[in-house]
Amino acid sequence: MQKKILLTAVLAVVLIAGIAVIGAAKAYVPGTPITAGFIYVGPIGDYGWTHAHDVARQIVAKEFPWLKTVYVENVAAGDTVSTIDKLVNDKHCNVIFTTSFDFMNGTLAAAKKYPDVIFAHCSGFKRAPNMATYMADFYQVYYLNGLMAGALTKTNKIGYVGAFPIPELKRHISAFTIGVRTVNPNANVYVRWTEAWENPAAAKEATEALVAEGCDVFAFTQDSPTVVQVAAANGALSFSHYSPMYRFAPNNVISGELVHWDKIYADFLRKVYNGTYTAHNLQNVDYWWLLSQGAVEMGAKPGMPINPIFINKLKATIVDDPELGKISVYDLIQTRLDQMANPGITFDPFQGPVYDRKGKLEVPAGMWMSVNSLTSMQWAVKGIIGPWPGEP
Amino acid sequence: MGWESWLISTFARALAYGTPLLLGTLGEIYAERSGVLNLGIEGMMIMGAYAAFVVTSKTGQPWLGVIVAAAVGGVFSLIHAFASITLKANQVVSGLALTMLGLGLAGVLGRSWVGLPLFTPLTRATVPGLSAIPIIGPGFFTRQCLLAYIAMLLVPIMWYILFHTRIGVTIRAVGEDPATADSLGVNVARVRYLCVVVGGIFAGIAGAYLSIYYRPAWTAGMTGGIGWIVIALTIFAFWNPVYGLVGSYFFAALYFLAYRMQMWVAPSILKAMPYVFAILILIFVSRGTLQKRMGAPAALTLPYTRGEE
Repeated sequence: MQKKILLTAVLAVVLIAGIAVIGAAKAYVPGTPITAGFIYVGPIGDYGWTHAHDVARQIVAKEFPWLKTVYVENVAAGDTVSTIDKLVNDKHCNVIFTTSFDFMNGTLAAAKKYPDVIFAHCSGFKRAPNMATYMADFYQVYYLNGLMAGALTKTNKIGYVGAFPIPELKRHISAFTIGVRTVNPNANVYVRWTEAWENPAAAKEATEALVAEGCDVFAFTQDSPTVVQVAAANGALSFSHYSPMYRFAPNNVISGELVHWDKIYADFLRKVYNGTYTAHNLQNVDYWWLLSQGAVEMGAKPGMPINPIFINKLKATIVDDPELGKISVYDLIQTRLDQMANPGITFDPFQGPVYDRKGKLEVPAGMWMSVNSLTSMQWAVKGIIGPWPGEP
Repeated sequence: MGWESWLISTFARALAYGTPLLLGTLGEIYAERSGVLNLGIEGMMIMGAYAAFVVTSKTGQPWLGVIVAAAVGGVFSLIHAFASITLKANQVVSGLALTMLGLGLAGVLGRSWVGLPLFTPLTRATVPGLSAIPIIGPGFFTRQCLLAYIAMLLVPIMWYILFHTRIGVTIRAVGEDPATADSLGVNVARVRYLCVVVGGIFAGIAGAYLSIYYRPAWTAGMTGGIGWIVIALTIFAFWNPVYGLVGSYFFAALYFLAYRMQMWVAPSILKAMPYVFAILILIFVSRGTLQKRMGAPAALTLPYTRGEE
């Protein structure tokens, strides 16, 4: 009897081990079909961050005949590894994209667990031989939008509805404020935090609070068009964020920040397919893609950089730029856009001297910020009014 | 400017954000008064929101959207009613299941509606006469959704029915002591079914308010936890529609003020304020002796089977 139990146990162990071996990932052979898995933090229906990643997934899935994609939405940070387990073992993914900062440690753990699978993590800073990082960043676009906001505000109060006070948002709000102040030194940017990426009620009430304070132009970091809608209902102007939100308020959306994650996904997947990227050489692969790579776009919707109804006002507003002399805001925007969008970038919003709002020199004259200092930025530039958790 | 504009804007937002809370709470009060706890508010609400958005987008008739949302909420609540009243399942589990089902179903059905603007949202209206009252007028009765005024009017009606009519006595009797009510010839199951459906209808209308007025837009999970606040507000209201109004508007005012006062108080503390307030009230209310006096239905969450005590 005991022997029988022992035999069964041994058999079970062998079987399980066998399944595990069969299930384990094999190294990807270049030129063979790729199955790419995408892990999303939110619902693909958020019309913000996750929606933008999923639009990109569909574009690359259509573009490459050798590519099959799968995705999992609404994944909590704590479920990162178990979700990857499923993608690797059940869906046989060769490449996995994890699209939220929260997934960073889970992705790293999974990268160690599956050394033959290729990982790419969005917006983080930890890498491994089989784990790259990527980010399409908006700070240049926010600066350009800031130039417009500064010229179009009548109350000199501009509202910004932020999600979480993390370096990414602090960088964007500061770049935006530098733009505002470049054309309108009397204007200030009033910031409110919702402590949520997507909470329409929070975004709505935060916007209403800023309207009550007198703000008449709005920028935001929220995964929904709520700020655009609330601003328009109160006769205020705004910008699109992530997704084209022009149609929610065609008379009130000036421009915006649009993303093309597909540019990064296509480049990365193509390089995996042709063997440039393997599970052994990603330690230093970090995509930090901006205007010049086409990963981000300035526009109310694709192909509409500035809503035509605001162009005359921008052309009629003349400012005295220390470098370019007397120039219309419209021409200033075009000049800066050209300087940042064409290869051989000759302008950066954070080019020194930049002082923080406490008066400390953060970027010395003539200097630019490194990617590392941009991604770990905690200070706020002058002109930002509002709480700033973590301010040095 | 000054304190007057602070009061006016706070009142206006208390009404605007408080209305879906109030609608949901009014319905849940009736369900719980009859002895059925329905944790499925969030699910019924989002189904209503989805239905209202689709109907309004297709027909251009926001009020048709509201009616369909009410119907969808009511029908959807039947799942909970059937499970918890007829099958005598655990009300907590069944309600939670309804929430999950609603969120998931609406999320999947709503995929193609994401990112579409709504051209015919519910319009705003100003109440003649009342809007001339200083501060209260511009705060509560100027340029608000008609549904907000309707919800306000429903409060005394729902209160009167519950405490001063035969129907109300029957509902409360079923929630307090179903066996006695049964022995007096009351059809316990029928009363409970009706009350749960009333709760569903109200949740559906609250959802419509969110998707075709408050936002107006559709995104997955757009109710964002409002259904859970309703559960807390129902207890806060001591199962009384009048206190339901006070609680809903008060919570909404705090929620808005959290953003106005961010300049001076840390955002995370302010964000927690309305919830801390809700928890404090819950602790206060749930102290045993108080609970009886304040009107918690004695048979809440208890399925009723004739002859079992």
